[in-house]
Amino acid sequence: MILIVSAISFTLLSSAGGDALSTLRENPQVSDKTIEGLKRIYGLDRTFAERYGLWLFGAVSGDLGESFSFRIPVRTLIWSRFLNTLIMSFVAFAIAVAVSFFLSILSARYRRRFLSGFIETIVLLSASTPRMVLALLVLVITLRFSMSAPAAGEINLFQLFSGAIVLSVPLISVFLAQLRVGLADALNEDFVRLARAKGLAEWRVIALHALRAALNPFLSIAGLSFGGLLGGSVIVETVLGWPGLGALMVSAVRGRDVPLVMGVVLVASAAVWLGNTIAEVLQLVNDKRLRSDNRG
Amino acid sequence: MDEILTKRRSPRNRAMIAGLVIVFAFYFIAIFADFLAPYDYREQTRQEPSAPMSNIRFRDDQGIWHLRPFIYAQKLADARNMRYDEEVTQKYPLTMFAHGRPYSLFGFVPSDTHLFGVESAERENPPRLHLLGTDQLGRDRFSRLLLAIRFSLLVSPAGTVLACIIGIIFGAISGYAYSNVDSVMMGIADAMISLPTLILILAARAAFPLELPPITAALLLIMIFALTGWAEMARLTRGLVLSMKQREFVIAARSIGLTERRVLCRHILPNIASPLIVQATLMLPAFLLAETALSFLGVGLQEPEPSLGNMLSLSSDLVMLKASPLILLSPGIVIFLFVFGIRLAVRNLNWGVKIL
Repeated sequence: MILIVSAISFTLLSSAGGDALSTLRENPQVSDKTIEGLKRIYGLDRTFAERYGLWLFGAVSGDLGESFSFRIPVRTLIWSRFLNTLIMSFVAFAIAVAVSFFLSILSARYRRRFLSGFIETIVLLSASTPRMVLALLVLVITLRFSMSAPAAGEINLFQLFSGAIVLSVPLISVFLAQLRVGLADALNEDFVRLARAKGLAEWRVIALHALRAALNPFLSIAGLSFGGLLGGSVIVETVLGWPGLGALMVSAVRGRDVPLVMGVVLVASAAVWLGNTIAEVLQLVNDKRLRSDNRG
Repeated sequence: MDEILTKRRSPRNRAMIAGLVIVFAFYFIAIFADFLAPYDYREQTRQEPSAPMSNIRFRDDQGIWHLRPFIYAQKLADARNMRYDEEVTQKYPLTMFAHGRPYSLFGFVPSDTHLFGVESAERENPPRLHLLGTDQLGRDRFSRLLLAIRFSLLVSPAGTVLACIIGIIFGAISGYAYSNVDSVMMGIADAMISLPTLILILAARAAFPLELPPITAALLLIMIFALTGWAEMARLTRGLVLSMKQREFVIAARSIGLTERRVLCRHILPNIASPLIVQATLMLPAFLLAETALSFLGVGLQEPEPSLGNMLSLSSDLVMLKASPLILLSPGIVIFLFVFGIRLAVRNLNWGVKIL
C-alpha cells in the first residue's frame, strides 16, 4: 500500500511542470550553466524511471535522499520532527480517550437527561469547531495573557498541551458519539442483565462487561482516526509554531522540495498504517470471536 | 437514540429548522454576495490601510440625534501606530440601495446597486463604510468576507458531488462484484480512508505551480477533494447495497427478469438514498475545512481572490491579531457557524439514519 502511495506521489510530483529550480530559472542572474550543474547535483537530469528507482532503492535501505532546500539528509530532518509530532498526537489522543471514556461512562451510569443533552452539545460543538480556528483562538489567548509570542522552533510545555487540546477536540466528538451509542447498546444485552443478576455493582457492570463489548467498534474508529490526526497536526503545528512533521510538510510543499515531500508522505503513511495495525491487533485481543478465519 | 427520537420530537425539529436557516442564510449570502458587498473586493485604498471598523452613528458631536445613521470620514492620524481620527465636520448618511461598483448578478444581470453604501452629493468619492475595517492594502474586509463565503461555499459542494458520484459507482460495483473483486475494491477504499488525507492533498498540490488563476485553483481543489473523499461514500454504498440485495423486493424484481442495471438504479438506489444523502451532507463541512486549510497554508486560492482560508492566514500578523482578534477571526466564525448549521440540521433529521 505504501509502495502504491509513494509511486503515485512521485509520479505526480515529477510529471507536473516546474521543479525546485524553476524559480531560479526565472532569475536573469543565474546562468543556464549553473542550472545544469545544479540539476546534476540534485539528479534532476536523469529520466523519471531512473529517479524513482534510485529513490525507492534508497528508501528501502533507509536513505531518503537529501533535501533540496535544507541541504541535509531527509532522514535526519524528518526524524526529530516526527518525534515532536508523535508526542503531540499521543497527548491529544490520550486527552480524547480520557474525556470520551469519562463522559460516556458517566452518562451510562447516571441516565439523566441533562447529562445526555450536555454530551450531545459537546459532540455537536466539538465536531463543528475547525482545528484552524481553535488554534488561532489559542494563539489569541497566549498573546493576551502571557504577552510573549510563541517563538518558532522553541518547545515548551504550554505549547505542547494547548496544541494537543486543539488536536483532540474533533477526536472527542467522534469517540464520544461512538462510545455512547456502543455503551447504550451493550447495556441492553443479556450478558449485562446476567451480570446485574449476579449482584455486581453497576460500576463494575459498566466498566468490566458493557465497556468491553463497546470497545471494538471504538477501536476500529480510533484506528481510522490516525490519518485525520496527522492531517490536523499540519494546521496546528503551522499556527502554533510547533516544530513537527506537519509544519515541515508545509515548508516542503512551498519550496517544492521533492525528496522532502516524498519522505514526509512515506513516514506519515507508514505511521498511520502502523497505528491501524495496532488497533486491529487490539481488537483481536479484545474479542476472541474475531480470531477464527470465517469473519466474513 | 430511539427513546430520544420519540420523546423529544419537537425540540429536534426546532433544532433542525435552526440549522437549515443558518445553512440557507449562508447560501443566500453566497448567491447575492456581489449585491450585499458594498465595495470591490480587490479595490485598494492607499489612504486607509488597516483601518478600524467604521463607527455607525446616530448622534453627532453636538449631541443631536438623527433618525438616519451616518458615518464620519476617517483619516490616518498616526501612520506609525495606525491610529485613525474621525473628521467630525461633515456627516455622510448611509443609503440603502446605493450605487457603486458595477457587477452582474448571477453572472448575467448587470447592475450597480448595492444593498447599502455611502453616497454624497458634494464629494466625488465619499468616505467608505468598513463594517469590518480594511486589511493592510486598504481593501474592505467585509466585502472580501462575503466574496470568500461565495468561493468556499460553491467549491465544496462541487467537490462533494463529484466525490459522491465516484464513491457511489465504486461502492455499487463492489457490492455487486464477486467476493474476490469486492475485497480488493474495499481494501483500496479502506486504505484511502486511513491515509493522512491532508498530507496527501498537500503532496498532490505540490505537484502544481503555487500561483494559479482562481478558476484553475478551484477546479484543482475540486479534483483533489473528489480523489481523496470518495472512499467513505464507497464503503457506505457497498454496505447498503449488500443489505438491500437480500430483500424480497429486490429478489422479486430480479426474478421477473429485470436487468441488473435496472434493479440497481430503480430499486436499490432509491431505497438507500437517504443515508447516502446524509453522508454527502456530512462530507460538505469536511471539504469546506480542507479548502480553508489549503488556502490558509498558502497553497489554495491565491490573493487577491478572497477565500475564508487565505483571509484567516492574515492573522499571522500577531500585532493585529492581538489588537482586534474578532475582526481577524471573523472568517473562522463564519466557518464555525456554517459547519454547525449543517451538523445541527443533519443530526436532527428524522430519517431513521443513525449518525455518529
